[in-house]
Amino acid sequence: MGYTLNFDAVWRSFDLLLAGLALGLALAFAAILLGCVIGLVTAFALLAKSRMARMPAGLYVTIIRNTPILVLILFTYFALPELGIRLGKIESFILTLAIYSGAYLAEVFRGGLLAIPPGLREAGLAIGLTEMQIRTSIIVPLMIRNVLPSLGSTIISLFKDTSLAAAIAVPELTFEARKINVETFRVIETWIVASLMYVATCTALAAIMRKVEQRLTVPR
Amino acid sequence: MDPIRFGEMLWLARMPILKGLGMTVSISALAIILGTLLGIFVGLSLTYGARPLRWLVRGYTDFIRGTPVLVLVLASYYVLSTVGLDLTAFQAGVLALTVFCSSHVGEILRGALQSIPKGQIEAAKAIGLTFRETFAYILGPQALRQALPAWVNTAAEMVKASTLLSIIGVSELLLRTQELISRTFMSLEFYFFAGLLYFTINYAIEHLGRYVERKTAVPS
Amino acid sequence: MKIRMKLVAAAFAAGSLLSAASAQAQESKLDEVLARGHLIVGTGSTNPPWHFKSMSDELQGFDVDMGHIVAEALFGDPDKVEYVIQSSDARIPNLTTGKVDLTCQFMTVTGERAQQVAFTIPYYREGVGLMMKAGGNYADYDALKAAGSDVTISVLQNVYAEEMVHKALPEATVDQYDSVDLMYQALESGRSDAAATDQSSLAWYMAQNPGRYVDAGYGWNPQSYSCAVARGDMDWLHFVDTALHEAMTGVAFDTYAASFKKWFGRDLPPPQIGFPVEYK
Repeated sequence: MGYTLNFDAVWRSFDLLLAGLALGLALAFAAILLGCVIGLVTAFALLAKSRMARMPAGLYVTIIRNTPILVLILFTYFALPELGIRLGKIESFILTLAIYSGAYLAEVFRGGLLAIPPGLREAGLAIGLTEMQIRTSIIVPLMIRNVLPSLGSTIISLFKDTSLAAAIAVPELTFEARKINVETFRVIETWIVASLMYVATCTALAAIMRKVEQRLTVPR
Repeated sequence: MDPIRFGEMLWLARMPILKGLGMTVSISALAIILGTLLGIFVGLSLTYGARPLRWLVRGYTDFIRGTPVLVLVLASYYVLSTVGLDLTAFQAGVLALTVFCSSHVGEILRGALQSIPKGQIEAAKAIGLTFRETFAYILGPQALRQALPAWVNTAAEMVKASTLLSIIGVSELLLRTQELISRTFMSLEFYFFAGLLYFTINYAIEHLGRYVERKTAVPS
Repeated sequence: MKIRMKLVAAAFAAGSLLSAASAQAQESKLDEVLARGHLIVGTGSTNPPWHFKSMSDELQGFDVDMGHIVAEALFGDPDKVEYVIQSSDARIPNLTTGKVDLTCQFMTVTGERAQQVAFTIPYYREGVGLMMKAGGNYADYDALKAAGSDVTISVLQNVYAEEMVHKALPEATVDQYDSVDLMYQALESGRSDAAATDQSSLAWYMAQNPGRYVDAGYGWNPQSYSCAVARGDMDWLHFVDTALHEAMTGVAFDTYAASFKKWFGRDLPPPQIGFPVEYK
């Protein structure tokens, strides 16, 4: 059984793979938006003076960071409905990914917040801004600039994690690749094309993030 | 939710769960050991390798890091046997995780080695040490100290990634859990329990990592 | 330049692997299995009553019993068989790459698949049924059909899944799942209004959960379940065929009938004595 590479079957289904890739990107994008909000709130809670705020935030980050994401995905989708929480396949996946990324982003943001000199807050207070105004217009924008590199790598790993949506039959890239694999038995070709698509997308995302970083870096 | 029935089921299922746990631990341990050996080669090549070798290894790590682990697992299971390399699901899974681990360890090691000031190498040269000696007495020990905490954390990554082997039929903890659910239909309870076991393992690893970090910290 | 040399070397290495793979496999799998002393069967582990784990962690089910029947025919010992757990999409790849000698994993015979692997004679004829939660929104098949696209049907992932459901419920929304338990979970959690799958699986599930589910009362889509072997080895295929055939009609009928009773709850009439049933 000599094996000759034949990409015809894969090209015929290339539309499916592209649609899967687009869905994966959309899932990652939706999750990162939600995750940023969760992460930001958690980061402030982690740095709060009150133990009542720090405790639950710390617990959330510890639990999520130490649990495999596949278990979280299956749990949200198949176990939560037993408690009366029912979400569609895609919503359930986005929510899981957002909660998952929120825990990692919280740590990223916490580091970014710690790096901001306390003098800025005092200066803000001196010119009559409220605590909330200081946070939204001074601290958070600066912090985001500081953490852009880690934010970028979180986005990329989040995009890779969208492959796990295949486990609950969300038709993203990995799901489509497995389907083509079963239907045509063009095993090598399918996985070569699928992984190259992932690598290319991750490289492109990294390049975009670098550009954004260059744009936003505080000139020194 | 019926705690008594669940307790009964859990007791009856203790052996499969323990076996699954044992499998999860062996997969992770093998992947970490083999991945670290390969990763040391990767890290050294990235830092000190001749240009063609460096490019080759750089291409390898970029490719691995740009591909989701699930795709690595599926590809290593299906593609390798198509080209005549007959691996069991267990072997293919361990191979995929090893490769994944090696790119992690390689980057950690590279980061650690490059963080050592250049001046030290020049100083070593000045007092007549060969490169081998410089590495053994100066660079190696410092890099080890730097890399150790991050390396311990990759162990937790491997435990989490081992769940993906359930998809190719390796009877680790998650597949064992799914087998139990297919018979008992208690998805909430068993997924929760599996999550708890994973959490416990990773929490222990995380604490080990912090302990190592404290022990290896350079006193300032 | 050095890189190019390495690439060439790598290509040669890959090439020799490929030709090594093609050089073997002239001898029949039958001799290989006999020499090895045990049979290697590929099947799953999460789909009762076909292949699943018992309380004591033994792989069991109707597919698993087919493996025992072939082992008995080979070695006079039903336990000389090793099961390799594989997901549904590994069935064909694991045969063509020789990871398993035989796959028995509720595999539906189709022309397309028959071009990739060689099917044995069928050991079961399946039909699809619809199962709903008792006391749910829809009373029976007619109510499901009348509801049109408001109805969501959960189904096992399959190339033909959508088409299959639409034959019975043309407008229904179809959700595909990786394994039967995930599909039942979708029904139990209200994600779907009915689960469409093999009537055998539904019957088994309803028997495990008395009073919780009802059959919608409609069956369609006849399909044959066969074991499969790699193509191009008539000797081996014929051997497995013979073993299965004699289990359904001859000396091993009692074993087959006991298994059938155990997993599907029905007694089989013994094959007619005298003129062979095949020609009636």
